Amino acid sequence: MGAGTGERGRRDAALGSSGPPESATTGSGSITHTTRGAMTRPAETSSLGDRAAVAVIEYREGRPGAMTDFVREASPLLWRTVRSQGVSREAADDVVQQTWAALVRHVDSISEPKATLKWLLVTARRAAWEAVRKDRTDDMRRTGLPDDDAETATTLPDPAPGPEAELLRNERDRTLWAALRELPERCQELLRLVSLADRPDYRSISAAIGMPIGSIGATRGRCLAKLRTVLTERGETSWT
Amino acid sequence: MDMTEFDDVPGADVPLDASDVALLARVAELDDRLDPAPHGLAERALFAMTLAGLEAEVMELQVVETPVGSVRSDAPVETRTITFTHERLTVMIALSAGAAAGTVRIDGWMAPAEALEIVLRRPDEERATLSDEDGRFVLEDVPRGPASLLVHQGETPVTTPVIEL
Repeated sequence: MGAGTGERGRRDAALGSSGPPESATTGSGSITHTTRGAMTRPAETSSLGDRAAVAVIEYREGRPGAMTDFVREASPLLWRTVRSQGVSREAADDVVQQTWAALVRHVDSISEPKATLKWLLVTARRAAWEAVRKDRTDDMRRTGLPDDDAETATTLPDPAPGPEAELLRNERDRTLWAALRELPERCQELLRLVSLADRPDYRSISAAIGMPIGSIGATRGRCLAKLRTVLTERGETSWT
Repeated sequence: MDMTEFDDVPGADVPLDASDVALLARVAELDDRLDPAPHGLAERALFAMTLAGLEAEVMELQVVETPVGSVRSDAPVETRTITFTHERLTVMIALSAGAAAGTVRIDGWMAPAEALEIVLRRPDEERATLSDEDGRFVLEDVPRGPASLLVHQGETPVTTPVIEL
């Protein structure tokens, strides 16, 4: 840790105070906008990783505006990261908060601002594993005889809230959902995360989740190619 | 992860094209529909960051697993009870509608029971109160929105995560 607490406190005090609240007026619609934004922003030249770097640099200089914007933009990505580790929705809210709070505590020790996005993803995944581990320990303590309950104790929380069937509106959705779940877990995670980011970010995302798959930005990459293969096997001929 | 099983996936080296981008957009849309990020997540995160910048060191309490939706704003306020715990302290709060419109009343209990200073922190307000010797405290007419409780116990203050009142 570098700078004194007082200095951090002063510049943090303004976080979130500029601009409209994320969803005060538009409800979940604003989240949809964020998640789709990466793909439908043709004029956007910088990547999420670039905006993370700018946010960190300006935040250190006492200008928190870019950080506020970046937190709003990247929170859905952290949410997806944490949920991909099997953390319950309730606990995932806290893990995402903890991850952002950790960024503030470590902001002066980040030597390479360009690596901020990767740092966030790695931190979120570690905190998520910790939450899952703690949850299981608590479960075992409650059940008393872990052997009798081995199956429930190791079952991951339901990856989605509510009945999936109602939310999967049509056959195309059901096919895609089923095809995704045929992929290895880390492939699923990679596709879910890159779907929320920009193309230049793919490499740092794959690095953050420990999949040395080369440049998924330049090539389709194995996970996406595999998904298309599974979709074709399931009879979907048009992917869009 | 062993990736060798993917080495012969046809098309893995093909450049990403528009239909790949569209497929990823479908993945994002489906995820967002089945498991959307909770309402107000980024605002709670921003407030948590502000608090993290103000505090030298705190001990964070964990939310004890509760029925889905009971901690955040999804559920009617009248029904919510939240328990936070840490090896040193357990705090339980019950939320009910406040006397003034749009506000919340917080009834709290702490174990071990002790008279301690409790600070309610909201983005635009801090309010302190004291627990009685049975560890009880009340905060009335608290506006809705993100909030965190800080308890001055021992050398290191104890804080709750940011919750949505």
